[in-house]
Amino acid sequence: MEEEKKVEFRYPLRRDELDPNRWRSTQAGMWAWLWQRISALAIIVLLAIHVTLPHRPLIQFLLLLTVVFHVTLGLRVILLDFGLVNVKYQKALIGGLAALGAVIFVLVWTGVY
Amino acid sequence: MANHAPKTRIIKVFRYDPAVGGPGHFDRFELKTDDESLTTILDVLIRLQKTQDLSLAFRYACRVSMCGSCGMVINGREALACKTILADLKGEEVTIRPLNHFPVVKDLVVDMEPFFRKYEEGLTYFHAARERSEPAIIRPDSRERRVIESSTECIACGCCVSSCTMANWHKDYLGPAALNRVFTLLADSRDGLHEERLARSLGSCYHCRTELNCTEVCPKEISATRAIKYIQRLAAKEVLKPGSTVRSDLRELMPPQSTAPAALTPEPEDLLPAVPPPTLASRREFLSRTTLGIAALTIVFLGGVLAATALAPTLRKRPEKWVDVGQAEDFPAGSVKTAQIRYPVKDGFYESTVSKPVFVSHQENPDQFTVFNSRCTHLGCMLHWDDGKNLFICDCHGGQFKPDGVVKAGPPPRSMDRYLTMVQDGHLFVQEA
Repeated sequence: MEEEKKVEFRYPLRRDELDPNRWRSTQAGMWAWLWQRISALAIIVLLAIHVTLPHRPLIQFLLLLTVVFHVTLGLRVILLDFGLVNVKYQKALIGGLAALGAVIFVLVWTGVY
Repeated sequence: MANHAPKTRIIKVFRYDPAVGGPGHFDRFELKTDDESLTTILDVLIRLQKTQDLSLAFRYACRVSMCGSCGMVINGREALACKTILADLKGEEVTIRPLNHFPVVKDLVVDMEPFFRKYEEGLTYFHAARERSEPAIIRPDSRERRVIESSTECIACGCCVSSCTMANWHKDYLGPAALNRVFTLLADSRDGLHEERLARSLGSCYHCRTELNCTEVCPKEISATRAIKYIQRLAAKEVLKPGSTVRSDLRELMPPQSTAPAALTPEPEDLLPAVPPPTLASRREFLSRTTLGIAALTIVFLGGVLAATALAPTLRKRPEKWVDVGQAEDFPAGSVKTAQIRYPVKDGFYESTVSKPVFVSHQENPDQFTVFNSRCTHLGCMLHWDDGKNLFICDCHGGQFKPDGVVKAGPPPRSMDRYLTMVQDGHLFVQEA
């Protein structure tokens, strides 16, 4: 009777485990997601500084910039979520909304200061 | 322009031997090809196996990107080996490794069992809504068919699951491939398991973080993200629908299989430990409590900041502000004169200068100045001094005040308001609130 031999599996590879090319081949969609997370953390930090040290132009500049950036990426996800824009335009959305965000940022900044 | 000259490349291939175990390593091969634009990665692997290392293990069948057997990670990106042309890969080195998130059997061969288990969990088989004697007709230009688009083309190669970071972090996530298949059935009007299928994907369709990695790597150019978004919208509509019976815990509500043996061997209930079994509900409870806690903290924090901002200026003791009215000698005894006072005010961002008239009366007592506010105490109109009548007069409603500020006629309810005064170095100062 042949005994069933147990195959020794290697545990599943993780995304960037043992792969020197992984981050280089990371695509726009994932960067957008990652940068939105990073900007969210930046907003928390900048907001705390802003509340404790109000009326500092540099802090306000950075906070507004981060918020606009975060909102830009968030709007993209909302548009994709609700099917208002076809998924195939996701990369164009990053650039397009970022440009729109930059214009709004300049208008708000020059309007207030 | 593709370069058709012979070229030598360094090929690094992931090796894992189940007899040896361990984390595995990369083997380095050098391979000369006559024409890279006519060479696929699958050709490279076959050639390496034939000429350099017989033990190299990889999986393939059709060689024309139809079967989905040769999915692997090539230069950090999931692709079918048979569809990837060597000339399209930049750099001197080519790194080939097995798909992520699947147990590695040997070298580039992975165990696809988790993939198809997820497939099963999603009820990804067709179940007719009703018996038909004739085939159902779904026209190619119908809305339904156009929504499903190319999603039915999936060859289950596993590239999307390997590229999805969420498939790694959420073990209960059905993953892009299974959800794409679920989507093709959910959008199918002939399908008879709509609610069950939706219930199966409810819990996991929101694990998608819209990274679109699966869309990027799919060799069949299917967008699993689009499919998942469709399921998410469907799920949102279903949950909002009153009286909907579709719930993600539908599975838990179904009688579990373990009840049958339990009924055969009845145990006195008081002997069982009163510890509730760990379920998905406890996780859900934990998450909802955490969310509520964070919401409460946010409200307390923001409320505190707002309250402090609103109340602090009123509680703070204001420094006394003395405003220069002019040289004391400009206001001779026995006269009433109008003077302008000016002082800066700062409010948040804005700085401005307040300029307003006051009346300086040097009549009652030669040593003492009386400075009146120029506003009428009736409705706040501007008063003016009438030298002839010797009265302060308000033009709005005919209010009149005597030189000492007491009401003489008209509607004003009380005497004119006075400032606190001070004379210092020959200058007259008033205190402004």
